[in-house]
This record gives sequence, C-alpha cells and structure tokens, in this order.
Amino acid sequence: MKIAYRHLVQHIEESPTIENISNKLFQLGHEHEIDGDIFDMEFTPNRGDCLSINGLLRDLAVFYTVDLNHEVFTEKLNELQLDFENLSENICPIISFLKLEIDQVPETYKNSLDNYFTDLGLNKNNFFTDLSNYLSYETGQPTHCYDASLMSGKLLFHEIEKNEEFETLLDKKIALTGKNSVFSLNDNVINLAGIVGGKSTSCSNNTKTVIVECAFFQPEAIIGKSVKYDIQSEASHKFERFVDPECHDKVLRRFIKLVSDHANIKDMSIISYKSKDNPTHQIPINVKKINQIIGINISEKEYLNYLSKLGFVVEEGLIKVPSFRSDIKRQNDLAEEIARVIGYDNIATSKISIPNNESTNHKAIENKLRFFLLDNGFYEVINSPFVSLSSEEAIKVDNPLDSNREYLRTNITNSLVENLLFNERRQKDSIKLFEISDIYSSHNGINKKRMLSIIASGRVGENYKDFSKKINKKYLVMLFQEILPNEVFDFKIVSRELLDTKIKNEIVSLEVDINSFSSDILSYKEVSQSPEGFAQYSLISDFPASFKDISYSIKDYSKTQELQDLLLNYQCDIIKNIYIFDYFKNEKQEEIKIGFRFTFQSKKATLNSAEIELVYNDIVSKSLNISGISIPGM
Amino acid sequence: MPDHKDIFSPELDKDRGSLHPINHMKDSIMSLLTSFGFEIIDGPEIETEEFNFDMLNIKKSHPARQMHDTFYVENKSNLLRTHTSPVQIRGMLEKKPPLAFISGGKVYRKDDDATHLPMFHQVEGIYVDENVSFAQLKDLIYKIIHSLFGDDVELRFRPSYFPFTEPSAEVDILSKEGKWLEILGCGLVNPVVLENCNIDSKKFSGLAFGLGIERIAMLKHGVTDIREFYKSNLDFLSQFK
Repeated sequence: MKIAYRHLVQHIEESPTIENISNKLFQLGHEHEIDGDIFDMEFTPNRGDCLSINGLLRDLAVFYTVDLNHEVFTEKLNELQLDFENLSENICPIISFLKLEIDQVPETYKNSLDNYFTDLGLNKNNFFTDLSNYLSYETGQPTHCYDASLMSGKLLFHEIEKNEEFETLLDKKIALTGKNSVFSLNDNVINLAGIVGGKSTSCSNNTKTVIVECAFFQPEAIIGKSVKYDIQSEASHKFERFVDPECHDKVLRRFIKLVSDHANIKDMSIISYKSKDNPTHQIPINVKKINQIIGINISEKEYLNYLSKLGFVVEEGLIKVPSFRSDIKRQNDLAEEIARVIGYDNIATSKISIPNNESTNHKAIENKLRFFLLDNGFYEVINSPFVSLSSEEAIKVDNPLDSNREYLRTNITNSLVENLLFNERRQKDSIKLFEISDIYSSHNGINKKRMLSIIASGRVGENYKDFSKKINKKYLVMLFQEILPNEVFDFKIVSRELLDTKIKNEIVSLEVDINSFSSDILSYKEVSQSPEGFAQYSLISDFPASFKDISYSIKDYSKTQELQDLLLNYQCDIIKNIYIFDYFKNEKQEEIKIGFRFTFQSKKATLNSAEIELVYNDIVSKSLNISGISIPGM
Repeated sequence: MPDHKDIFSPELDKDRGSLHPINHMKDSIMSLLTSFGFEIIDGPEIETEEFNFDMLNIKKSHPARQMHDTFYVENKSNLLRTHTSPVQIRGMLEKKPPLAFISGGKVYRKDDDATHLPMFHQVEGIYVDENVSFAQLKDLIYKIIHSLFGDDVELRFRPSYFPFTEPSAEVDILSKEGKWLEILGCGLVNPVVLENCNIDSKKFSGLAFGLGIERIAMLKHGVTDIREFYKSNLDFLSQFK
C-alpha cells in the first residue's frame, strides 16, 4: 500500500522527517520502501488496522503527538427508508447505508481529496467513487457507492451458490461459481461483497444521488475470492485482514463532510443494521507477566502509558482492546505491543542455557553410506519429488503446479536417470550420483520409506588408474562387497533403448531401503570429510567444452615431477580441468609415458580452434623446455 | 600401470564426490544447534491439516491453507508439509517440558519462480521451559547468527507475524554491500500452541525459530539463482567438496 509522507506528517505535531518516520515504522514492524515522498508499505496480515492513514497514525501516536480528529458532519441525520434484507447476518453482522443527493457534480477536487490523487499519481473515476476510494485510504474502511437512480427494487445481501455471470464496474466479466456472498437487486447480482462492485449499478460522472454501503464482512467469507476471480481489489485486501466493525457512523459522517466540501447536499439519510454487538475484548493488567515474557523490567505506569498511546483504554484493572485491533487477545499480544514500542533491538539479551539433551545419531548408517559413496567419487543430488508418470501406488497431488508434476515419485532412480542424461549432454564422461530421500506411496494408507538410490555410468574415474576402466555392474558389486561382504544388493542395468541419448556406456543403478543395511557399515572408515568452510561458487559455463590430450615420453625420470608441477598448475582462463589420464613406466626402454588431459571451456563464448591452439602451443612449448622430455610424433 | 616401487609415479588423485551443498548446510546448522543442547527429531513430509495448521494456531481462513499456497494430496485428506513445525508439535505431544527440539528437512509450497521453488529446506527449533523470555531468544539468535556469519556481522530484529509465535520477529543481517538480508523468523511460542500440545502455558513458555536453508546456502556460497541447487549439474556440485 502506498502512503504519501505529507499525508501522514500533516497530522503530526513534531513534523518529523521522512527518515525519522521510516525508522519508527521499521521499529513498529511496518516494512516499507521509500520512493520519493511515498512509503510503499507491506503490512503483516494481522495488522489490517494499519491499512490507512489513520491506522498508521494510530501506531505512530506512541512516538509523536498525533491529531486523529478529521472533520466530520456532526448534525442529526434522518433515517433512510431502504428496501433491504440481510439474509446472511453471520457473514455481515453490521452494515450501514447512506443516501445522499447533491445539486451538482464538482469538476475539481479540494484539499486532501485532491492531494490524494495528485501525490499518489492516481486516476480519477467519478466523484462518489473517488471519494469512496479516498475515504478507504484515510480511514481504512472500504465503502461502495451505488448510483441511487439505478437501485429500484429490493436489495438483498446473501450467500448464493449458483453459476452466474457478473460484470464488474471495471468491465470485467467473471463467472461466479461455488459459494459467494453477494448483494442482489431483483435477483441479479450487483456487487460481489467485499471484492468488487457491479457495472449495472455503478456510479458515473452524472451520478448526483448515491447510496453508500459501509459493511463489516467476516474475513473468512472474503478470503480466497480475489485470487479465485483474479481481482486484486483494495477492498478485498482490507476485508480479508479485518476492518473496524465500529467505525461506520464516523466514516459515513466523514463522507458527508467531504461531499459538503465539494457540493451542496440537497438531501441525505442514513440507516444501520447490526445483528449482534461487538463485545469489547478485555485483558487483565499484569505487568509482571509482560516483563517475564519480554525479559525486561518496566513499571506498570510506563506499561499502561504505552498502551494508552496505542488506543487501549484502562478501566477497573482491565485493558480494553480497541475495536480496530482484532489481533490482540492475550498477554503475549500485549507483550508484543510493548516490545515493538521499546524496539526489539533495544531489548537487552539474557543469557540462555538449554539443558543438554542426550544426542543420538539416528542417521549413523545413512551418514556412513554417504561418506562411503563420497570416497568413491559419487556426488549427492537432491531432486524434486513431483513427477508426471504414475504407478498404481503413486500419491496424487490434488492441486499440482502442472500436469508434469501431478504425482509424487515412487522411486528415486528415474530422477537419477534424468540427472545422468543431463550431465552426459554436458559432456561428462564419468558420472556417479546418489540421493537419499523419503519416498511415499499409497497402499492401504500412506507408506513412507527412506531410500538410497545410486546411478553410475562412464569412466570409473578421472585419474590414470581409472581412466580406461568403464563402470559396470561388476565394478559396483565389488565396491559394495568390500565394505559389506555379507550383503547382497540388487544392482540393475538401466536400458538406454528408450532414453534420448546416443551414448552407449552401461548405466548401473541401485535403489535400496536404508533400513535394510546392517550395522556393519558403521565400521567403515571414511576418508572424505564434510567441508570445513563454505566454498565460493564460481559461475558455470554453458558453452561446450573441448578436450586436448598430450602424451609425453620422459627419458630422465627425475623430470617427471617437474613436468607435473608445470602442467597441473598451469593457469589459464579457458582451461577448466587438467588431470593425468595415463602413466606407464617401460623399464626395458627406460622410458616413462605420461598423458595429460586438458579441458578447455570459456564462460563467455564457444571457443574456436585458434583460441585453443594458442594455449595448447604455449603448454607444449613450456613443457618441451624441460630437458629429457619429448612428445612422440611431434 | 605403476607398481608400488615406482617412486616416479604421480600421486594418485582419486576422485572424491561431494555432499549436496544444501544437505551440507543443513547438517552444519543441525550440528551447531545440537551443540547448544537441542535434540534432533524427525517427522513425515506428508502431514495432516491438523498438525500442519490447526495445532499451530493457523486458522481455517488463513491464506496459507488455500489450494494456491499448499499442496494437498489424496483428495485433500493430507498435504505436503509447508514447514517443519508439525514435527515440533509431534515432539511436544510426546515429551514433557523442559524440551529442546530441532527438525530439518524438505518442505513444500505452491511457488515456482526464479526466487521460490515448490520444494525447499528448513531447520526449525523449539525450546520450552519455565520463564523462557524474548531476551533469551535474542541471545540464542545472536549465537546462531554469529556462528554462521561471524562475530562481526551486524543484525537487527524486526517485529513480524506468525500465528504460532507471539511476539514474533524476523532477523536480518547486514551484507557487505550494506543491504539488510532476511535470515530467519523466530518468536515466543504462542500459548495457544502450547495448550494445543497439552503444555500448561501458565507454567511454561517457549521460544521457536526457523531458518530457510537455501537462503543461507546462497549467501554463504555466493549462489544467486536458487534453481542451481537442484539441476544436479556436476559442474555445480563439484565446487562444494
């Protein structure tokens, strides 16, 4: 909600700066951004009472001398004769109507009404609608204006449940479905209560006689409707968050005053319907409890003074909650009021000491498995549980994001296959992944299993020992047999036939219930450790990589290390990775053969061969400077 | 293939994998909190409305319960938990105070854009004892934030609103660029929630807090797009060894 600084400050005696008010608003928990002289406010959903100039001023009154007394029409009003029936008093227990006729529609606006449109850069509609909008901004109470000349017949407020088309005053046609609270005239919906009025009875620039409706709707009846019908109205935002049920007389008298500032009123009358009294909520004064909740020590006098400034009334040992504060019900709520006024950051800390609980590592087996897999080059992944394909036991999401995410997965392997293909498309030739996750299925109720799934394909590793070995079922069986010789695992070969890939490497997978692992795994001594710090992420390149291999012949064995030091530490923007993929010592020929693989990839563009050759030639040149080293064939 | 006598053979740089950065962050935070005295408890990701909302004082009319915010399953008989708080409800129903629980894991909300995902991770904690105060909550939050971001980090508490805590606060830290960043939500457990769990709110009070793991991981690792965490891209994952 946008609120102009000058609309606030004109009611504050101290004339604080915009920064000063901003600081106080933050202290009170009212988040906002400042754009020029405008506060763009974002209120928490429990503070519907703040959605107006008056609402904010009521809160700021705890810091400043605030004048909340806007001029209102004070004389006695005639009773309006209106053919109205409220059939849903449980939804709308309090409602008032004001009928008012003016002699001439004003062409220009004065004072605060004019400032409202100018300062906030708003478009005008027609006099009565504009006035209604301004009044909502000033008081927080939405009102709806009907052109009285279009209102012949019996007006009904009721909850209906029928499909009906309704055209809003914003010319939008919506199909009403399900239960809706509406105002009807002669069996036609003329107003979707609390959300938006209808076109058929809306005011225009010619409207001289208006019926102003001022209502309190239970938030439960309004919530969800604006989203359902895709209508983001200021009124629904306020009604959803609770408006002051006791403000009608004051708001409508203010309406009359503002009209009288702009036109001669020929006739006016008012009527209120109240099906039940709104009881004042009362909370016993208990400053000791407040001090205990916050961890401070303020006096009762100070405590009550703060509450008084916020509009609470203290009588006979009780704190009476004002009708606009629906969020205050118990001592903790009052404690929050005091904490806000003091300022959360001004409350001193008090040392906390939590009694030590017996800490049991209930995921010991799971964690051992994770580190065993890490030691063997597996990367942990996390996948979304939402999938399109269903098995009979899959749990269906009632309201999925889309049809591709309609079910909860019943296995992890399918997700890992997708991960594997994704990485193969990114030119990865050694892929080892695992995921541990809860998996849910529906069979005689909801069943949960904690599963480990692994998938692997391509080279066993990127080092000279594993480079030429391909991952297969035997490799994984042996891997697990080393640590769990007494357990048998059902490794599976994933067929590539139906996969969108031309790569032929065998894909091996395993999916197993964590609970099926024996405690033998606990004796495994892991090499990998959790990282001590948090590595700074470097942006990933989406451009293709190129690979270059260089194989050296070394006659002077002592130069092997020098060559490694040179190449493995070679720095260049377009080199992403370097490793030794081949090493062979030929004793007969007194020669070491060593091969290095370079991965070239730029973060800025696809590399051309000239760019790669330039770096490649530099590597070759520098390496051949080492005596006793040659590149066969070069 | 080099034999063991070959003193010239290069060091065998055996490939190691890496923990997922989100799980690593979750584990780090859980480990920190257990060192403060919290006990780890677990709960299901498929929950009932009763545990996910009702017991936590989230009224039937609360927007979070709408179909556009919460994933419901099996003809609305259950839902995907929208936070890890129901685990704490289960814990409070099982044990008597004093109690101090933490729970961490996946939670689900019906969002999907550049900054929100339908699945993300939380760690939440609760401590219930006699005379637990907001001032003590602040002490705990300072300890958590300083452990995560260093003793020099500047933080602020802002009043906020959660149905299950009162008073409620959000905590921001000041980034190096001078911008306040929201880090966690916290507050004193709403007495209604304690009573829902058969805990005498006149005798006991509690504090609670919750952290979004992705948000903290993004800050700690310098990741700017939350979606990167879930692409399972080896170029991404290999950076977190």
